Amino acid sequence: MEIISDSNLEKKRFRYFGKGTEFAIIYFKNIILTLLTLGIYYPWAKVELLKYHYQSTELDKTRFSFHATGNEVFRGFIKVYAIVILLYAFLIYATQTQDPTMLLVATSLFYLFFILLIPFAIHGAVRYRASRSSWKGIHFKYLGNRKDFFILCLKGFFLSIITLGIYSAWFQVDIRKYVLSHLRFGDVSFKFKGNGGDLFWITLKFILLFYITLGIYGFWYYKNIMRFYIDNIEITQNGKPIKFKFTMNTGDVFELLVINFLLIAFTLGLATPWVSVRTFQFMFRFIEIEEGLDTEIIQQTTHDDYDDASGDDFMDFLDFDLL
Amino acid sequence: MAFNVHYFDGKSSKMRTASLSTNSLSWKISFENKQNVTETISWNIAKIKKTDVHTDGIVTFTYGDRFPFQRIESTDASFINYIKNSQHKNLTNKVDILLQTSKKSTLFYLLVTIVGIAIGVYFYVIPAVASNFAKNLSKENVISFGNYVFNILSSDLEIDDQKSQKLQSFVDEIEIDATFPIEVYVVKSEDFNAFAISGGKIVVFSSLLDKIQNESQLLALLGHEISHIENRHVLKNVSRNLSGAIFMSILFGDINGIATIFAENAHLFSQLSYTRKLETEADLFGLEIMKKNQVDLSGMPALFEILKDETKINVPTYLSNHPMLKDRIEYTQKIAKEQSIIPENKILKKRWVAIKATFNNMNKDE
Repeated sequence: MEIISDSNLEKKRFRYFGKGTEFAIIYFKNIILTLLTLGIYYPWAKVELLKYHYQSTELDKTRFSFHATGNEVFRGFIKVYAIVILLYAFLIYATQTQDPTMLLVATSLFYLFFILLIPFAIHGAVRYRASRSSWKGIHFKYLGNRKDFFILCLKGFFLSIITLGIYSAWFQVDIRKYVLSHLRFGDVSFKFKGNGGDLFWITLKFILLFYITLGIYGFWYYKNIMRFYIDNIEITQNGKPIKFKFTMNTGDVFELLVINFLLIAFTLGLATPWVSVRTFQFMFRFIEIEEGLDTEIIQQTTHDDYDDASGDDFMDFLDFDLL
Repeated sequence: MAFNVHYFDGKSSKMRTASLSTNSLSWKISFENKQNVTETISWNIAKIKKTDVHTDGIVTFTYGDRFPFQRIESTDASFINYIKNSQHKNLTNKVDILLQTSKKSTLFYLLVTIVGIAIGVYFYVIPAVASNFAKNLSKENVISFGNYVFNILSSDLEIDDQKSQKLQSFVDEIEIDATFPIEVYVVKSEDFNAFAISGGKIVVFSSLLDKIQNESQLLALLGHEISHIENRHVLKNVSRNLSGAIFMSILFGDINGIATIFAENAHLFSQLSYTRKLETEADLFGLEIMKKNQVDLSGMPALFEILKDETKINVPTYLSNHPMLKDRIEYTQKIAKEQSIIPENKILKKRWVAIKATFNNMNKDE
């Protein structure tokens, strides 16, 4: 007998309920605490802000949840800073010897180490974030293999360098494909269907047109790249594919970015919390999950209780954000 | 009293509309299960975890010792109110209380506090810490820092060994209570410039040296640079600049590019005025060295006159971070006029004549 659930296979939209004034209070409070504790409070601050964003986001009348804790992120933070300080200490030591070979070796090792650490950081960050995110009581889970991902990245770095960056479009797509295909939400799985050629073309058009149009083409580029990333996401539920769609057009991009810019510029940055809330509201308004996803029958699978946030912290250190 | 909630059992994403009733130790959650039979689940309040939501109009809780966790979400105003008034530590959290109790003025006070801390740190804490650091760094460290900087710079400098030697013989006769051994280098260049490096090295550009007319002007120039070295000006400047920049990036860095640019420019301006202060200090200290060595103090304003004439035509590198030359001429002249008897330092004069002679010969050869 086929179980027909009483729901809801219609198109689904995200909604973001965050408010600038609420977020600003948390944001400013956290800046003060971070300053007064000379940065030590930062992990707790980060978790609070992320929780706010997750829990203000709704899909199908249910909010997302973020379960990370400041303590977990703090432990990762300490690990990352210990590594970074050691690397710098080594570099400073090498400079002091004033031996050119030593300096060359130290500098190369320094950068090499950073580059080699990135795949591990991405892996750890995705796994941690997934493990700590849930919706309707169902947890996300990342099943990627660290070694496979490392080899994929090594190949990508290498080919990008010898093709003078051209391969990096394909490389980025490979990363997305790998990460998404190993992501699960209960018994629902994900796929990235984009291809490197399309991304390369989007980037090439940007490089060719950006200066000619005095930067105005940037708005089209933003739309194209977001569409590329979101439209190519596909969910599979019980063997059935369901597509994502990003419906923002260039006029919307213009409205989003220009007003954000003005808000920041005229308040010397004080409007930042309002700008981030506004950006989330804006972005989620344009993301759709097309017909076919039954949000009532997703089954929980085993939990990946991954509490090592150091990958996430390392990505933060490099100023990359997964969101 | 029963509240309306949405219940998730943690096994599937099925949302059940449930009613929740409370007593002092537990919550009872009732809903219709798959078989359309009413099922009641009990939650022990001591084991409830509040999912910090931090946003108005919704509360969510999770429950259970081990995975999968049960969960409820509620937008029922009376339930939200019940939670607000609850005293149990599992049901409240500090951020939510802050949000609920904050008024419009809270934001204002938070902003004032941030600006206050920022101003305090930037204007009082950082300068104090930075100059303390510069003062207390050991002599050996200052010298090795200077050597490091000089090694980097010297690859771009065309050092004239012969002229440097001659100038060094002049420097060796200057009477100073120097902590650092002073070494001078003459560098071939069209620019009218001279600079000091931490730990004792002074670089003088050849064009500037060619324009100098007597020993008191030369001593004015060297005295000024020696003052930078003895007072650890470069180090003070660098550590202040660096810590200021780091603080700015902590404060604004996470925000965005534009705010950082504003902040960095403001920082640059304040740094420039600090540099000017150090320059004035170096002028005054330079005059002291001149007094001690018994030369004509008017050599200092005369040196500035030369610079003023030259920088009118040339790129004003020397001018950029120095106090306006006009002002410097005025205040140094004032001090020079207080000197009633114009002394003469015979040894320095002799050395100067020797330098000048060599220079003229060498320039002719070229």
